[in-house]
Order: sequence, then C-alpha cells, then structure tokens
Amino acid sequence: MKNALAIALREIKSYLQDRGDLAFSLLLPVVTFALIYGAFGGQNLFHGTANIVNEDNGPFAQSLLNTLEHNNSLTVKILKASDAEAKLGRSDIIQLMVIPADFSSKLAAGQPAQITFKQRGNGGQEGQIVYSIENAAISDLNMGFQVQAVVSQALDGTGISTSVIFNTVQQAVATEKTSPSVSIREDLTGSLPDPVGQFLPGIITMYVLFSITIGARAFAEEKRKGTLERLLTTRITPGQLFTGKFLAGMGRGFVQTVILLVLSYAVFHIFTPLSFLEVIGLSLVFAAAGGAVGMLIASVARTPDSANWIAVFFTMGTVMLGGTFFTLTKGTVIYTLSRFSINTYANQAFKALVARSGSFTDVGVPFIILAGVTVFALLISRRLFSAVSGQR
Amino acid sequence: MSEPFVAVKDLRKDFNGQKAVDGVSFTIDKGECFGLLGPNGAGKTTTIRMLATVLAPDGGDAAIGGFSIKNQADKVREIIGVCPQDLALYEEMSAVDNLIFFGKMAGLSGKEAREQAAANLRLMELSDRGKDKIQKYSGGMKRRVNLAIALMGHPQLLFLDEPTVGIDPQSRNKIFETIQNLQKQGITVLYTTHYMEEADHLCKRVAIIDGGQVIAMDSPYELKKKIGNPDTVTLEHVFLNLTGRSLRD
Repeated sequence: MKNALAIALREIKSYLQDRGDLAFSLLLPVVTFALIYGAFGGQNLFHGTANIVNEDNGPFAQSLLNTLEHNNSLTVKILKASDAEAKLGRSDIIQLMVIPADFSSKLAAGQPAQITFKQRGNGGQEGQIVYSIENAAISDLNMGFQVQAVVSQALDGTGISTSVIFNTVQQAVATEKTSPSVSIREDLTGSLPDPVGQFLPGIITMYVLFSITIGARAFAEEKRKGTLERLLTTRITPGQLFTGKFLAGMGRGFVQTVILLVLSYAVFHIFTPLSFLEVIGLSLVFAAAGGAVGMLIASVARTPDSANWIAVFFTMGTVMLGGTFFTLTKGTVIYTLSRFSINTYANQAFKALVARSGSFTDVGVPFIILAGVTVFALLISRRLFSAVSGQR
Repeated sequence: MSEPFVAVKDLRKDFNGQKAVDGVSFTIDKGECFGLLGPNGAGKTTTIRMLATVLAPDGGDAAIGGFSIKNQADKVREIIGVCPQDLALYEEMSAVDNLIFFGKMAGLSGKEAREQAAANLRLMELSDRGKDKIQKYSGGMKRRVNLAIALMGHPQLLFLDEPTVGIDPQSRNKIFETIQNLQKQGITVLYTTHYMEEADHLCKRVAIIDGGQVIAMDSPYELKKKIGNPDTVTLEHVFLNLTGRSLRD
C-alpha cells in the first residue's frame, strides 16, 4: 500500500505543480457554482417572454395586450411579422402569437376572429407555459363576448341600448376577475421543489465523471513519458501501480466534486450536516466507479489521445443514458440501455439524497451497484493490462 | 572459478512470428562492464527488456545474481537498475523529486531516498539545479538524471541502454567517469551503444548481436586481432566487418 500511495502522491504532486491544470480544474467547480447561483440564486418563479405580432392595432387587440402586460410572469415583446418569422425559423424564438389585421373589426361586427399561435416543436417548457397564459387571456376576452351575445339576445326587443348592455357586461366581467364567484384556496405543503436541488445531482455526476478521463490516461501518459517500463523494473507490483493510479484518478474527480458541494452547502443551504456527509460519501463511491472505468480504458488505450477519445465517448454515452439531460420513459430501448450506465444509479442516488432529502438507507441498491462496478472494472482492467501490453 | 553474475541461456522472443531474439546466450562476471553491440533492430533492447523483467521471454532463461528472470522476477528487480534508451523522467517534476520517487519505488525509505537523491545529484554535478523542473534541463542534463535514477536503490546490475545518445562531450565524459567509478565499486554493467569507441573504452568484453543472434563475443582487443592489427583496427571495423555495410532502418 505504501508504494501505491507513493504513486498516487506523485500524481497529485505533478497535478499541483502544473499551475494551468490546477487553476482550470479547481476553478471549474467554482465557475459552475457561480452559474448555478446566477440561474437559481435570486428567484424561483417562472418568467417567460410572449412574442407577439400585432397586425391589428385595434381596441380589442390592445385590450388583449394590456391583459398580458399586466401578468407578472410575462414580458411582452412586440415584433414585426417578417422579423418574427425569421427569428422563429432560426430558433431565436420558440413561440409566437399573431393577432391578424381584422381582429378588432370582426369582433366589433359580432363575427368570430382567430389568433394564430406558432411554435417550434412542442415549444419547450417555457413555450408551453407562455401559451397557457396567453390562452387564458384569450379565454377571458372570449368569455366577455359570449356573455354579451347571450345577454343581447335575451334583452332583444326590451329597448335597452347596445352600449348599456356592453358596459354592464364589461363591468360584470371585470368584477368576476377581481372577485370571482369560485375562488381557489391555496393550501401549501412544504416548499416548492428547489431548482438547485433538482439540477445539482446532474452537475455532480458530470464532475465525478472527470475521474474516467483522468483515469483513462493513467498508463498511456506513463508510456508516452517512458516511465511505465521504468516503473515495471522496480520493486513496485502491478497491483500497487494499479491501486496508485486508481486512487489518483478517483481523488482528482472527488476533490472537484467536494469543492462544488461545499460551495452549495455554504450558499444554498440545501444540506444538513448529515445529508452533506452522505452526499460526500456517495460522491466518493461514484468517483471510485468512474476511476475504475477509467482504468479499464487505460488498460486498452495505446496513446493519450486514444485514451481521451474512448473516455469522452464513454462519458457522453453514460451521461446521455444516465438521465442527466432528459428523463427516460420506461419500456423503451434507451431505458433498457440506461440500466448499463453508472450515471443512472448515481443520478438516482444523488436525486434521492439532494432533491428528495432522503437518507443513506434510500440509496442502498445504487450504492451497492456502483461499488460492484468499481471492483469488477478494476479486476478486468488488471487482466486486460497484462493481456494487451504483453507486460507483467 | 566463481559463478557468473549474469548467465543468459538460449533467450528467445518473437513478435508476431518475427524472431527478435533468437537463442542469445552470454555470461557476465560480477563487476564486469559487458557491451552488447548491434545495428538497429538487432535485438539488443529486446534482450535488455527481457533481462529487466519487463518482457516475458518465449524461450530460454537468464539468471541474475542467481535469480531466474522467469520464476524469480521479483528478486531480480530488487538488484537491478535500468537506464533506458529513451529518457524516462517526469518532466513536470524536479530532478530531486524524480530521484526520490524512483528511490522509493526501488525500496528505499523516504529518508534513504532523499539522502541518495542528494548523493546521486552530487555525483552527476547537478546539485545546484536539483530543484529545477526537468523540462528546464538541457539534453545532457536529462541524460545524467536518467542515469542517476538508475542508480537509486544501490543496484548490483546496471542496464545502460545507449546512455550517451545525443549529448555534449562534457556530459558524455561525466557519464563515462561515473560508469568507471561504479565498476570500481563492484557494480556489474550491461552496456549497449552505437558508439564503438565507447564500448572499446569501457567494456571488458563485448557481444555483437545481429538478427537476434550473437555473432561474435570476446574482448575488444581479441575481436580486433581477428581481423588485423589490434593497434590500428578499430572496433567499428570489426562491427562493420561482421554486420555488413547495408543500412538498417
């Protein structure tokens, strides 16, 4: 073990002496943290932009715009038709509402009018929420016209003027908005799901996966320097060399993750002391799994470049399959494949601990799987190392 | 007569069906500097890699200090030091850190490694630059550090694989002096080089190897005597006479 530690310490010493490498790897978690803080540190409420082309400019179009502008969750952006279409085509915007030129005149004449809502794909989460808000505003407007039509029909022949009917209906609608007949009572249970807690697990898994790339280069770098053969002529055993390299790769990925977690703990207060220790423990096990997979790649990679590319390919695959960026639907092929990604189990466990405030007992299965992957990958990589290199 | 310190017997190694080493046998006495000479691709480095226990031989065996390279590789590694043909250094680290690290790998304690690192740097006249990173060193300085590392752990047998390639005369001279001093201390040396005058100057005996086989083995004087007047014939003449003048790339 002494020799293995000496190998790991040498790696860490080299890492600490390379100021560029050190600055980059330690600053990265700090920068990520700053981005998280920038994104979620100030506000939790939804805020979106309603992109609108107003070809009408009549009173009813203006009434609709006023309603939307008074909504605190929206910023109304008026665009020219040609600009809006071009932006939608380039995906600069993902949704657009078009009020046609005859909108107010048709409504004034008692004819039906139509507003067009355009979006790219399903409009994404923001597009769908903006659409709901706009739809609600249009429904309110619609309700006024429907009530007015029904009342006008009912009072037909009574001698009451159209303007009196219109003003009375508008007042009734306005009263209904401010003092609705059916109201909603909000009964809050706990707090809103914390966006930091929702996103942090994915970010942690990304950081821990650095262990794969660092581990993957372990032997290729030594081969490039010529030091691998020199080491193999010393008293160090291949097992000690493996352990040292594994500890170094795991250690670097783990240190970066710890920096991110400490900053999250200090600023966002999303952990208790116990849950913080649990997340640290889980990060260590996941870093070990990542480091072991890195050693597996290191055992077959002949050059640092090939080690890098295999590691990048593996990392991207495991992240995509691991549910970091999107949720996988049960029963699909990709869901079945995701069972082979270490990220899947790490994400499950981190989400349980960070987002759902679970405890270590809730992550027993993913924990055991990650530990098992570590042992299995280390054993296989040791055998591959001898078989591929022809060395002892 | 005492047992040879190194006894190589019928050593063989194939790479993809090509015979790199084809039945090489020789012995080296304790304290002797033995030269292994040959053109590029002759099998010198493969032989050294097998003796240094990095490569497993396909056939034959060798005993170093009485230990088999096949069955007692761990014991062999305790008594050897290797100065590889290509520099094998951590360039991002200082010379002293390189020496201490490889000293620990050679079985020294931290204190012993630090003491021996300082001594070896003095020996190579690099004490004043010991804390500089290797990447700031000249080629000759790097070669001297490469040799200094091989000396960590007090090896009884030193493999020097072309230790003077591409360096200035001063550094080469320093390496010669060091090797001669090591011999005086009873350290056995297996030396490969393309510079025939080096082998003539340093080695008590040389083996000329070509096509993976030993084609001649004797003292430089006796080898020269076989093709002419040993006072006028050089070892290079002997080498070219035995291996031919065609290029080996």
